[in-house]
Amino acid sequence: MTTPENESPLTLKSFADSFFYGSRSNLDFKFLADLSDTEAADFFEGLLGELSRTINDGDASRLVDHARSWQRHAYNAHLDSKAAFAYDDVPFSILAKPLAEARVALVTSSGHFVAGDDPEPFGIEHMTQTEAEARIGEFLRAEPTLSRIPVDTPADQLRVRHGGYPIDATLIDPNVTLPLRAMRELQHDGVIGELAADAYSFVGATSQLKLRERVAPLWADELRAAQVDAVLLVPV
Amino acid sequence: MSVGHVQRVLEAAGIPTVGIYIAAFAHVPVRMGVSRALITDHPMGRPLGAPDDAVRQRDVVEAALELLTSTARQTIVSFPHPYRTAAAHPSA
Repeated sequence: MTTPENESPLTLKSFADSFFYGSRSNLDFKFLADLSDTEAADFFEGLLGELSRTINDGDASRLVDHARSWQRHAYNAHLDSKAAFAYDDVPFSILAKPLAEARVALVTSSGHFVAGDDPEPFGIEHMTQTEAEARIGEFLRAEPTLSRIPVDTPADQLRVRHGGYPIDATLIDPNVTLPLRAMRELQHDGVIGELAADAYSFVGATSQLKLRERVAPLWADELRAAQVDAVLLVPV
Repeated sequence: MSVGHVQRVLEAAGIPTVGIYIAAFAHVPVRMGVSRALITDHPMGRPLGAPDDAVRQRDVVEAALELLTSTARQTIVSFPHPYRTAAAHPSA
């Protein structure tokens, strides 16, 4: 049984909040902390209804659908009250050559790095996923480190750590957030001209201002120096 | 938001980009003025598809790369297929 974080009585609100970096932390469902009591009750009532139906026919896809639809609702609701960045302009460049002749780089905010090249956030060696989740506030104030990942890196040499999203799936298969296999296939099949020698990953839970003003412009310089024609990005 | 900022900086630096966003984050490319985005109706942490669903993952990447040839100022397209391919469905 989970031990309560404090002595105050358990309420629906404190229960929902505990999934957001609390005693029941679960990054798939951290959005529960953003829901009203009524919405949270609807989520759990709906979940149990879908679970009952799954007990009957074994089709668990409806549980996935339930999670997806509530994630979609929670993250798109009340946008104006959140401190989201919004811009009126759209910076825009045109691909100067056919895709089949272009050198394409992969950039993801997945938090991957190659074994032996740990970015060691805040100078900490071998930071665990649990520690990364506990220090999410510090990550959000710091500037991100870009990890370079040679595109022929074997999957068993990849490491991932990111306090902001559920890494379970990417631990099973890194291609769900770092699609090197698909990119290599598309290079082989001539859909893209060439996959850039390195892919790039960083922890997307980071200072947005430091990223925008200081770090991302340096990454642009590095990509231009690598004569990259286009970039595929994967946010997590 | 991080990738939205990186996309904006790269585009301004002359490098065309495309991002693959899950539906929960579909507001990000719209609000942040991102040039090209493919929206997948996938759960958090699985933007390309389910683990080991190589067919779906490739389809998503290919659909995103095709958007790189768009010459419109902003191109935001929904990926029209479900989270799992039939072959990757556990009950299939």
